[in-house]
Amino acid sequence: MQRQSLVEVRVLYFAKSRDLAGTAEEIIKVPDRVTSQLLLEIITDRHIELKTIQQNLILAVNQDYISEESGEIQLSTGDEIAVIPPLSGG
Amino acid sequence: MMESYISATDGDAKLQCELQEAKQVIKELKEKLNHYEQNENMQLCESTKEPENSSLLEVTQLTNRDIRRYSRQLILPEIGVRGQLALSNTSVLLVGAGGLGCPAAIYLAAAGIGHIGVVDFDHVELDNLHRQILHTEQRIGKSKSGSIATSIHNLNFSVKCQPYHLQLNKDNALPLIKQYDIILDCTDNVATRYLLNDACVLANKPLVSASALRFEGQLTVYNYDGGPCYRCLFPKPPPPETVTNCSDGGVLGVVPGIMGSLQALEAIKMAAGLTVSYAQKLLLFDALFGGFRSIKLRPKKKDCAVCGETPSVTKLIDYEEFCGAGPSDKCLSLHILPPEDRITVKELAKLLEETPLPILVDVRSPVEFEICHLENSINIPLAEIEKPDDTSFTEKVKQVSISRGLMDRDISVVVLCRRGNDSQKAIECLKTRMSSEIPVTLKDVIGGLSAWSLQVDPDFPQY
Repeated sequence: MQRQSLVEVRVLYFAKSRDLAGTAEEIIKVPDRVTSQLLLEIITDRHIELKTIQQNLILAVNQDYISEESGEIQLSTGDEIAVIPPLSGG
Repeated sequence: MMESYISATDGDAKLQCELQEAKQVIKELKEKLNHYEQNENMQLCESTKEPENSSLLEVTQLTNRDIRRYSRQLILPEIGVRGQLALSNTSVLLVGAGGLGCPAAIYLAAAGIGHIGVVDFDHVELDNLHRQILHTEQRIGKSKSGSIATSIHNLNFSVKCQPYHLQLNKDNALPLIKQYDIILDCTDNVATRYLLNDACVLANKPLVSASALRFEGQLTVYNYDGGPCYRCLFPKPPPPETVTNCSDGGVLGVVPGIMGSLQALEAIKMAAGLTVSYAQKLLLFDALFGGFRSIKLRPKKKDCAVCGETPSVTKLIDYEEFCGAGPSDKCLSLHILPPEDRITVKELAKLLEETPLPILVDVRSPVEFEICHLENSINIPLAEIEKPDDTSFTEKVKQVSISRGLMDRDISVVVLCRRGNDSQKAIECLKTRMSSEIPVTLKDVIGGLSAWSLQVDPDFPQY
């Protein structure tokens, strides 16, 4: 089995997740192979406040939606992860 | 003389031509008069039933007036006569006549969409006007759907516009949506978004959805061409307390303006038979940092509760129950504190005439405090108080009580905010933390500064 290594990715927070995380973007270290659930866990563990909307977020890697159906995702340093809750105002 | 003979024939032909043109003008004026009369008698529909004689004849050719009016888009090869006729024969239903609905409606009407329906239950208010750009000062208090219909008629009388002054619900949504080809979600609350999504899936209609808050906007075309529905992406509604509305969060008017214009663009492309840009894609607009991002979305989810292979939602449900919040973006009143911990604005007015004065703590954000505040109140934002290791409250209260010479008495602190919700949260948080180092009685003000303005001081601003 290959050993997992860590990569540096840029996480962008949108809408409510930006308020809760207290930042619009940050660079974090994550394993280079993750599932969407694990990625979500890592991000919401960093910002505990995000747990309240954990089930209402979508994640995208390099502007591609990911979900549990995507299985294990290969990440590289410099990848961009977007955390997107729905907006409902109008 | 040859020359005059030719001129006479030419003159005759010219007159014939002018006569034809005049006849055309008379015909158009008659049509216009007819439309204005209809507009005068235009009734706000309070049910989903179409008014009688409302059926539209298919438009099969463009009039000279159409050619002139739409010439700048008609000469686009992607539109052409075929596309323009398709627009005339398309009906679009806008749900929500606010910040998104106004720009969407007027661009649809300008482009010549044949039939536009507008649903909204609200009336025009002064604090709508910075973003809901079709409503005017003269129309404050009037129905928003009627206001948009009037604007559409003034711009393009050939568009048939039907305003519906009603709240979309599980009983009226389907009959209404079935009458239209394309649906636009221009709403401002979670419950109506799920209702509209489910109704569009059940009626098999494309849903061009947008939203905006603060400096951000989102846009997607749902339920179209194998793409996902709203539930495929967001199967569960967010907890109501995590949802920010425009009234609390604020919104820069041009942001919904841009998103609503993009909704019109997608609807026009769909109607004209062009490929839409945001089916199975989510557009994120960030007006503060100046960026558009396009996220490629998933296809339809096989196990989606409404559009999946074996749906559990086969008819419209109770969306207020599903979302834990009603179909409005109005603010809820929280009831956290027991009545004995709360005072009314009238009681506060009395307290402010007594000595010693209570210490007034305003827990709104600094930007709101700057807009308006009560004399002698001090600003300690709720966000500060909620920090686990915060000492600013105790320190400031101590400071004020020393400067007012209150130290050896039981200090009365009145906490207030905009509507009487955050003040309760603040006290709830402080109760666990206030030690016995200073004897303090904490009360919050029911209805906050908004109630103060309504019941005590009408000169105090509302926002």
